[in-house]
Amino acid sequence: MTTMVMNNKREMREKMTSSIAMVLTLVSLSMLFATLMLGYVAYRFTSDVWPPLGMERAALELPTLSTVIILVSSLTYYFTETSFLSQKLKQFKVFFSLTFLLGVGFMISQMFLWKNLEATGIYVDTTVFGSIIYAFTWIHAAHVIGGIVALLFLIPSLTGKRDYLKGQIWVKNVGQYWHFLGIVWFILYFSIFIF
Amino acid sequence: MAFYEQHIHPKPTTFLSKYVFSFDHKVIAKQFLWYGIFFLLVGGLMALMIRWTLAYPGQPFPVIGHFLFPTSNGAVPPDTYAMLFTMHGTIMIFYAITPILIGAFGNFCIPLMLGARDMAFPLLNMLSYHVAVISGALLLGSLFVPLGAAAGGWTSYPTLSTLIGSPGVGQTLWTLAIFVLGVSSTMGAVNYITTIITLRAPGMGYFDMPLTVWGLGLTAILNAIFLPVLGAGCLLLIFDRVFGTTFFLAGAAATTGTGDPVLFQHVFWIFGHPEVYILILPAWGIVSDLLSFFARKPAFGAKATALSMTSITILSTLVYGHHMFTTQMSPLLTQTFMTLTMTISIPSAIFFANWLGTIWKGSIRFHSPMLFSLGVVFVFGLGGLTGLYLGTVTTDLYLHDTYFVVGHFHYTMAASVLLGGFAGTYFWMPKMFGTIMNEFWAKIHFWITMLGLNGVFFAMMLVGYGGMHRRIFNPFIYEFTQKLIPLNTFATWSAIVMGFAQIIFVVNFVHAVFFKKEKASDNPWEVGTLEWTIPSPAPHYNFKEIPVVKCGPHELGNPNLSNGRDYQYQTEELA
Repeated sequence: MTTMVMNNKREMREKMTSSIAMVLTLVSLSMLFATLMLGYVAYRFTSDVWPPLGMERAALELPTLSTVIILVSSLTYYFTETSFLSQKLKQFKVFFSLTFLLGVGFMISQMFLWKNLEATGIYVDTTVFGSIIYAFTWIHAAHVIGGIVALLFLIPSLTGKRDYLKGQIWVKNVGQYWHFLGIVWFILYFSIFIF
Repeated sequence: MAFYEQHIHPKPTTFLSKYVFSFDHKVIAKQFLWYGIFFLLVGGLMALMIRWTLAYPGQPFPVIGHFLFPTSNGAVPPDTYAMLFTMHGTIMIFYAITPILIGAFGNFCIPLMLGARDMAFPLLNMLSYHVAVISGALLLGSLFVPLGAAAGGWTSYPTLSTLIGSPGVGQTLWTLAIFVLGVSSTMGAVNYITTIITLRAPGMGYFDMPLTVWGLGLTAILNAIFLPVLGAGCLLLIFDRVFGTTFFLAGAAATTGTGDPVLFQHVFWIFGHPEVYILILPAWGIVSDLLSFFARKPAFGAKATALSMTSITILSTLVYGHHMFTTQMSPLLTQTFMTLTMTISIPSAIFFANWLGTIWKGSIRFHSPMLFSLGVVFVFGLGGLTGLYLGTVTTDLYLHDTYFVVGHFHYTMAASVLLGGFAGTYFWMPKMFGTIMNEFWAKIHFWITMLGLNGVFFAMMLVGYGGMHRRIFNPFIYEFTQKLIPLNTFATWSAIVMGFAQIIFVVNFVHAVFFKKEKASDNPWEVGTLEWTIPSPAPHYNFKEIPVVKCGPHELGNPNLSNGRDYQYQTEELA
């Protein structure tokens, strides 16, 4: 009995260790995106007209679709986590699959976005306006791909091959990263597409 | 305060698991050490080529010149000169100092000094080294591509670094290599900070940590926060070069819709100023400890030293603008940055005074690590004071982009960090490899290096004050610089002497690592931090039993010592 309590304590503390590391990682990534936003602010406010050179703004449909998808995926991830914590394995599997599909769906919506931008004459090398849209969404998308790969690391928890406490660590940390990507996308959506 | 006790890893048995893909922080530290020493030699050779060109422009570089530069009869051609100073700076900062001070000593000292069995994330630690190797390969590869390596200076300002200034693939590889190295260092930083928070031995509060760990921890914090800033800048620069984005293309944003080259300078220095503290903080920490250990006295005001290093860390994030006084920055901003820069003098003065307080009336043992530490005190004092002229707008307008700047930052970053690195290497050698390096040759190495580097860097400041600019292939085409040729020749010969002195180190080091029969004792320097409580070299599990810490790291000469020695281990209680 006592050894089990001690083991629990040890696991809980290991959990805390990786949480600290995850927070540090997110601080690092925030600085990356903050720097991009700094660049955006500098270009935006030194320009008399925006978008420059009489360019058209990007159509809002696809970015809005992406926003909805990533928002819903954050929600389904939230339910993935709660169902895992209350040990409802079936729900956990359903919500996990939904999150995964929505993640892939987000990437597909991004590809359509890039195609559509090209079709409406916004190229990566025409003015800094186009450069910003493409480069920032690329960098974000690269992190989403990382997020989808991170989701795959939860599969051992789905099949019951990983012990429960270890699984908690994984579910919590991947979740933080996933929600972080949602927040970043929302900031990008608001600043470079709407504002 | 350990959050949990780590398991003892099984002893690695195969060659690959022992020397290549090792999880052991000590092996990774040694890997980083060899990596750093290799690049130190490459960067040093480049430095000699630069110096040779400045003393004897147009004359063939001795011995290997005809082999390296066959088209120009053995002399360094102008475009190669630009590549040399670019790669020299890059290699020394990112591939020599960073791996040795942060990679090697960070990995080696943090778990051992904290009483942990390994880093918090051994796998991440191993990956961090292998990512650094990929980065090193990219950088070395860039030396051999058509049109040559990057030539835009280590700062790689656009438009020198965009396709207009450097069309070759070398600059792209350079930017990619720096980005990849940034990923590696960030991984390391996350690991270091987590380890320091969670794996301190029971009883060890933050102020019971040796100052070395303080320095390394603060460095890791700066790394985790500011490397991604450079990473973002590098990514945009890569996009500009590869995909044709227009972030840093010159032109007014409003009229032509293109980007802003000065923005890169902002991004670069937001990272770049913390970076100089990233490089120097570990050396400060090591020196603060070693001065106390070899003066046989407690570190004077150790808490104040730790806190002033912390405040410097915070202030370093607010002063980057002093690198950009000449970019038509608003005078209001330049004044602000100047004031903030001057504020750094206060904490610097505090810990500098603490260093002097530590050796004041100490029973100093002049072993090689102490000599190198005292060397750091001297050269860092000089480097710090000359920084004031560059942080002040009025003097900087004259001195900007002259050799005065080069001399200044070599005193602070190169000389201090190099001497601090040597101090650390001589000091931890017994715990790393189980042998002590020859003291006599270590001292010879110190004196020649010390004289040599002061000859080079002081002469640099003098010619800079005389008006000689950096990064010019042949500055002596201007009449006013011709009087500076003798000083430049002096600097070059000092550099050559200093370069040859490093052969002493390499022979001494290689001999001690591979050939020396005589083993070092467990605690040859008679100091009390946790790494000296275990056998030399440290066993793969570090501590059989996790130690319990009962006193601070510098209880030397304390009247309450309980055991008849003039020091005591951190595991022993004061009477």
